[in-house]
Amino acid sequence: MIMLYVVLFFTFFSLFLYVLLGGADFGAGIVELFSSRGNRKLTRDTIYRVMGPIWEANHIWLIILIVILWIAFPSYFNIIIIYLHVPLTLVLLGITIRGVAFIFRHYDAVVDRSQVWYNRLFRIGSFITPVFLGMSFGTLVSGKIILTTDYSQIGFADIFLFPWLNVFTLLTGLFYAALCAFLASTLLIGETTGEVRKIYSRKSAIFTITLVLIGGAVLAYGYFTNMVFVKDFLQNTLSLAAIALSAILLLPLWQSIKKQYSMRTRILAGIQVLLVIFAAVNTHFPNLIITSTSELDLLAGAAPDSVIRVLGISLIIGGAVILPGLFHLMKSFNMIYPKKDLHQ
Amino acid sequence: MENLDYARLQMAFTLGFHIIFACIGMVMPFFMVVSHKKWLNTRKPLYLKLTKAWQKGVAIFFVTGAVSGTALSFELGMLWPEFMKHAGPVIGMPFSLEGAAFFVEAIALGFYLYGWNKLPETFHWITGIIIGISGVASGILVVSANAWMNAPAGFEVINGEFVNIDPVAAFFNEAWFTQALHMTLAAFAATGFAVAGVHAFQILRNKSVELHKAAFKIAIFFGGVAALLQPLSGDLSAKDIAQRQPVKLAAMEAHYETKRNAPLYIGGLVNEQAREVTHKIEIPGALSFLAFGDFDAEVKGLEAFPEDELPRVAIVHYAFQVMVGIGTLLMIAAIIYFISLKKKSWWNSRKFWWFFALLSPLGFIAVEAGWVVTEVGRQPWIVYNVMRTSEAVTPMPGLEYSFYMYVLVYLALAVTVAWLMNRQIKVLNNSIG
Repeated sequence: MIMLYVVLFFTFFSLFLYVLLGGADFGAGIVELFSSRGNRKLTRDTIYRVMGPIWEANHIWLIILIVILWIAFPSYFNIIIIYLHVPLTLVLLGITIRGVAFIFRHYDAVVDRSQVWYNRLFRIGSFITPVFLGMSFGTLVSGKIILTTDYSQIGFADIFLFPWLNVFTLLTGLFYAALCAFLASTLLIGETTGEVRKIYSRKSAIFTITLVLIGGAVLAYGYFTNMVFVKDFLQNTLSLAAIALSAILLLPLWQSIKKQYSMRTRILAGIQVLLVIFAAVNTHFPNLIITSTSELDLLAGAAPDSVIRVLGISLIIGGAVILPGLFHLMKSFNMIYPKKDLHQ
Repeated sequence: MENLDYARLQMAFTLGFHIIFACIGMVMPFFMVVSHKKWLNTRKPLYLKLTKAWQKGVAIFFVTGAVSGTALSFELGMLWPEFMKHAGPVIGMPFSLEGAAFFVEAIALGFYLYGWNKLPETFHWITGIIIGISGVASGILVVSANAWMNAPAGFEVINGEFVNIDPVAAFFNEAWFTQALHMTLAAFAATGFAVAGVHAFQILRNKSVELHKAAFKIAIFFGGVAALLQPLSGDLSAKDIAQRQPVKLAAMEAHYETKRNAPLYIGGLVNEQAREVTHKIEIPGALSFLAFGDFDAEVKGLEAFPEDELPRVAIVHYAFQVMVGIGTLLMIAAIIYFISLKKKSWWNSRKFWWFFALLSPLGFIAVEAGWVVTEVGRQPWIVYNVMRTSEAVTPMPGLEYSFYMYVLVYLALAVTVAWLMNRQIKVLNNSIG
């Protein structure tokens, strides 16, 4: 039984780190996409310097998450993977394109016009991937998935397209993309000085406002279309408190950005993401998937104890190896406790 | 074609690519750290050049391997949701450990790529070794999951549900050791000969000969040793399959009639309708001996199995012939190389370098062929004797579009990576002159 909590912890821990680190990584490309021509080169070099050493590790959290899902919560995974086939394929396409474009642009032995293409693919991929990811997250709680075993009765589009392709999911997709851009610009501020710093500060402010606006739009749209998840969200005191706290934290965040406290800025941004995820998950835990007719319980579909036990032990061993390694990696390349002289 | 066929084609196609990227990503780090060690010991600049060139190769292949691997971790579920729903928890252990190993590899790679002149020299070098070891560990773990599909263990099926799951027993299934050994050696042989061949070709072109000879030596050493050991591992695998999956063995050998003192066919054309093999070379009793260590042992023929449980015999047989043929050739090449260390004059012959340059792609062709043998040879089962592939496929129609998209993307990826490697080599040659 304890092992189930270990597995749950690692599930949400991977989700959190993927949203945070993978998000900052996607966001870096989005910031680059929305930079003026002159700033792009600078953004590109800063991203490489800051994210380079851990950028591959950032994305492995997604694999860990998906593997935990399929081992520990197979019936949940089954629904996700069947009904979100199309958007997840698009996510994979995006991950592939931006991943290879990133490595090509930094590891191609010859620097020539092909760089233009690498950059273009990296930026566009960085934008569309989190949008489709956010759409997939949104679909799970939207109450629009139609579960069926008879595929001839209902059309292809009704089962495999419309549930994830609608106003609500589009808003959740943009919300996640904005969150990514907010994270990245906040991260990049700490890595720059002087005039450039001001540019990123302004960007960070713009993305923060965008994020808040889209978040409001998601709630408003859900509320006026009587969406179960949103209604419940707005009635859940703990979730609302978490969101409110996350909004309040913007004040110390801006303060800390102004005073150039890089580490504090990052921790605050991390806490905000944690609060947003907590608010969303808390609202409907353990019924995280809401379909058109029912709510599906994550724990009810869990794998047998023997499986959970072995998985829990594997995760503890894996975590004991990975986390100190990752921490040491981030520390060695100044991602944690950045050197003071860099900023002053 | 049906949805099922497109699902199988897509899986074959994406895994076919991934297997190449993964092998190179697994093995090249070892070449890199050997060259790195030589640089640390001798301080000859050419070893530093080589290390950095190979490091770029490792980075490019690691990332393409990683993204194609990410795609696969989703694809398993997207194409075969019923398989993952039932089998996922059973084979979860190797996959979760593989995730951890892969993570360690990514962390070590971060240290290695960005650690030049920043980390202490020895620590930096060791992170390179960790990349290689964790890469090989990942490979072994994934193959163990595949072995489970051939030798299901650690569960019972009651009313269509997989119950009494024992993930440790599933992990240490009967096929895991022979398959993991065979695949690991194959990765070393294929990558070793491929990389050695590329450098042999540069020597032929008379470009930076000293550097390419150094590179050739490192790569061929790993490839050669693996190629010499591979027949032994192949023998273990054949004896294991004879016991466990007699129908696969029969398909590999296109062996239709059950008999004692069964002959081994070399080559031959399979006629699936007439159930016969023509134009073959026959070695009497050899199949009985190879499968059971006894010339008089009975080897079950394809006729002993129900019609609807047979794989496509021709595909399996041809793929097996290709794999064994190339394996033998590479073994001979390895012997030639190790003799050439005594007969240095061979190194001045262009024939010597042409020989190795032409061998370059063969190892990977053998890897693909071997993988066709194990996968097509298991059909129509996705989990041998437990679940049919047709029962596992997704209910979503229209998989042909998904298949075409993957073909397009992966082909583009393959062309780009090949083009990038070519650019790396050009720059390497120009920088030394």
